[in-house]
Amino acid sequence: MNRDYAKYALRRVLQALVVILLAYVFTFVVISVLPGDPVTTTLRNPSNGFTEEEINRIVSYYGLDRPVYEQLWESLSRFVTGDLGVSLRSGLPVSRMIGEVLGSTVLLATSALAVALLLAFGVGFGVRHLPRNRGQGVLRAFPSLFLSLPNFVIGLALINVFAFQVGLFQVIDAEGGAATFFAAVALGIPVSAQVAEVLVANLDHEGSQEYASVALSRGLGRTRLFLRHLLKPSALPVVTVIALTVGELLGGAVITEQIFGRTGIGSLVERSVTTQDLPVLQAVVTLAAVVFVLVNLLADLVYPLLDPRVRLGDGRPRERAEVTT
Amino acid sequence: MKTSRAARRVRPPGRTLRMIVGLATVVGLAACGPGVAAQQGGSAEPKSGGAVTFLIDSLGDTWIPNNSAISSFQGHIWGHVTDKLVYVDDKGEVSPWVAESWEQNTDATVFTLHLRKGVTFSDKTPVDAAAVVANLDIWSKGDPARGINPIGLFPKTYDHAEAVDPATVKVTFKAPTLGFVPTLGYHGSILISPKTIALPAAQQADLANDIGSGPFVVSSWKQGDSVVLKKRDDYNWAPAALKHQGPARLDTITYKQVAQPSLRTSAVRSGQADVAYNPSPQELQSFKDQGFTTATPRYLGFVNGYALNTKVAPYDDVKVRQALQHGIDRKEIISTVYTPDWLPAQSLFQSNVPGSTDRSADFAYDADKANKLLDEAGWAKGADGVRAKGGKQLTLTLYANPYLATSKSVDELVAQQLGKIGFKVDIQAFDVVTFGERVKVNSPSVVAYEVTRSFIDAGTVAGVLTDANKGENWFGLGQSDQKLVDLAGRVAKAASVDERKPVLDELQGYVLQQGYFVPLTQIVQRVYLQSPKLHDVTYNGLAYANYYTAWLG
Repeated sequence: MNRDYAKYALRRVLQALVVILLAYVFTFVVISVLPGDPVTTTLRNPSNGFTEEEINRIVSYYGLDRPVYEQLWESLSRFVTGDLGVSLRSGLPVSRMIGEVLGSTVLLATSALAVALLLAFGVGFGVRHLPRNRGQGVLRAFPSLFLSLPNFVIGLALINVFAFQVGLFQVIDAEGGAATFFAAVALGIPVSAQVAEVLVANLDHEGSQEYASVALSRGLGRTRLFLRHLLKPSALPVVTVIALTVGELLGGAVITEQIFGRTGIGSLVERSVTTQDLPVLQAVVTLAAVVFVLVNLLADLVYPLLDPRVRLGDGRPRERAEVTT
Repeated sequence: MKTSRAARRVRPPGRTLRMIVGLATVVGLAACGPGVAAQQGGSAEPKSGGAVTFLIDSLGDTWIPNNSAISSFQGHIWGHVTDKLVYVDDKGEVSPWVAESWEQNTDATVFTLHLRKGVTFSDKTPVDAAAVVANLDIWSKGDPARGINPIGLFPKTYDHAEAVDPATVKVTFKAPTLGFVPTLGYHGSILISPKTIALPAAQQADLANDIGSGPFVVSSWKQGDSVVLKKRDDYNWAPAALKHQGPARLDTITYKQVAQPSLRTSAVRSGQADVAYNPSPQELQSFKDQGFTTATPRYLGFVNGYALNTKVAPYDDVKVRQALQHGIDRKEIISTVYTPDWLPAQSLFQSNVPGSTDRSADFAYDADKANKLLDEAGWAKGADGVRAKGGKQLTLTLYANPYLATSKSVDELVAQQLGKIGFKVDIQAFDVVTFGERVKVNSPSVVAYEVTRSFIDAGTVAGVLTDANKGENWFGLGQSDQKLVDLAGRVAKAASVDERKPVLDELQGYVLQQGYFVPLTQIVQRVYLQSPKLHDVTYNGLAYANYYTAWLG
């Protein structure tokens, strides 16, 4: 088991490294094939009054007139040494730009995940407790409802009510505690839907097992049954779903940060996409890939340890893991 | 037994859902209602102190002073952190600032600037002749090796500048440059400490390192988020035109980026912020009715209009060009797309530009006249209402200018108006990148290039009309129209404003009578919605709000 596990872990780590490198190259290629470049686009505005010679000189400074493969090679050589380069638009080192905003997004994403988990477990608990004709149906509809509500709609509604009507937070203090809470709610609601769906399905499955009926018939309370016997086996698949929602959280942060006026990785992505700021975009996409890959790697590595039914043979990936019951 | 009790208590189906929907409706309706009402009035005596929050759609890209100084957004911050050599007010009048006086030689090739004494940057170094020479050099040439751009609109005729003594600078040009002094009041011409100028680009990109001599200094900033300015207590060299001396009245100004226009205006309405930049024109009246202040200052520059490419048939025919001018109802554009705060064009230039003359009769809306001109040119209306000549239809493609938000709406209305007199108008709308690639002035595929451009001196016009001296050749005429070449040359070479004035008048008349340019409306690029508590805001020649004089009451 230990040797197998080490082989399995090594294989997953190598795969993760390849994915990260590919994400870096892929971003470069996608942006490079788009027409125009960020420098020329700004300078060409006739109001700026630049001559063609001046524009060419500036484009040449940024190396944007060189062949794409040369630019890619230089960018890759920098990347493997840990140098993320300098933003084509702001002129600031990319590592500094990311460092300034990372904390805000991490706070938003973890708060949103907490909101999502609370909501999902609340729905799961409610579904097991409420009788069918007393709101259980409505609770069961919540995941679909949450999934169909775009986070920008939730965000705008929350701002309108809680910032402008009730006055619980100020739009200009987007990083404050109350504003962060409501931003986390806006981002967390759609994410909770996926978690809740999986949790409810598994709770239904576990609840229909014989051991649950026996426990109830022997006088065990519903809450105790839920917390001590149904929750743990039902929550295990949720670990995989949480790993998958990281992408959702990062994607949702782009819009949520925009709506709430927060400055984070999401708003940095939005700015660098609209301005074709390649070094920033490459760094942010790679960071997202790193986070996504790491969280999934962690889930993959932890899963066999958590669930004794999962057995690994000869370093095979989990998809082909042998499950014995 | 248990089941039947539960059945008795059961609510009608869907009741819970109805409650949720009902609650959501109440919350939704509450959200649509007005927020905190605007407070009217305040005392009339200026007060010191207070903090203003300005919500802005963007804070631009870079803070490298040369690379960002003409950004529409960052100009707001530079205008408070830095000073200029001269002040240009909203009527285009140039008055002393850091340069307390100046003189020029007879052919406007050598200028001598006399600097005000005692002016210092916020790092306590003096704003002296050496500092001004360093600034003039970097504006003119930039530093390509360090990624510092030149200021694109700084006169290309600049040769060199020298410090005659600590308070005197002599500036030499290769050709007459009457626009030099007004250009010193342009938003690109901000005075920066030579220590900042000497820094590498990556350090200049950190706003905290950018030292100016303005009435405010940067207290804190976060890229793409906010800039907080605090007043400088020892500031005492404001332009006399602002009618206030000494430190600014406000303690701090916070520029906060809020991308959503509705959030900016709602925040001002609810009292969470004092100014919202660029609200929708259609919202202005409702805010005025609620007691808020709105401002739609016009910048100095060309009006919004089409430069016609005379190389492309049938726009080589003066009658077709004139028909285009007379077929557009500018009042309808203002009442449909804008509000009465906007003004119809009177000439090539905005009406506040010194030297602009009212030439509206030359292109006034007159559908009958337009129809007659097209009839005379041989374009006959077909059954579908579209005119044709020799089997070819009278077509026009308009390319909405992505730098002006309302451009597409204006073009759509113009298409309807021109359709009535027999033009078949097609509209193309591109993003900024594609527009830059495909839509170029004087390109054979672009008959009507939509112009929006600010300038600080009407002499700019000499560089766009023909291709003489690497001119932009807006109308595709090259140097074939001798009268135009002559008029542009006389404007460029004029050594005094008085000498240039009649030439400019003649030039505007000629360009419009020949139908080379089709004016639409005067441009309002910057719109402000502000709290009624904020008083005495001034607007300069580039329509930037200046809060040096402002106070909260």
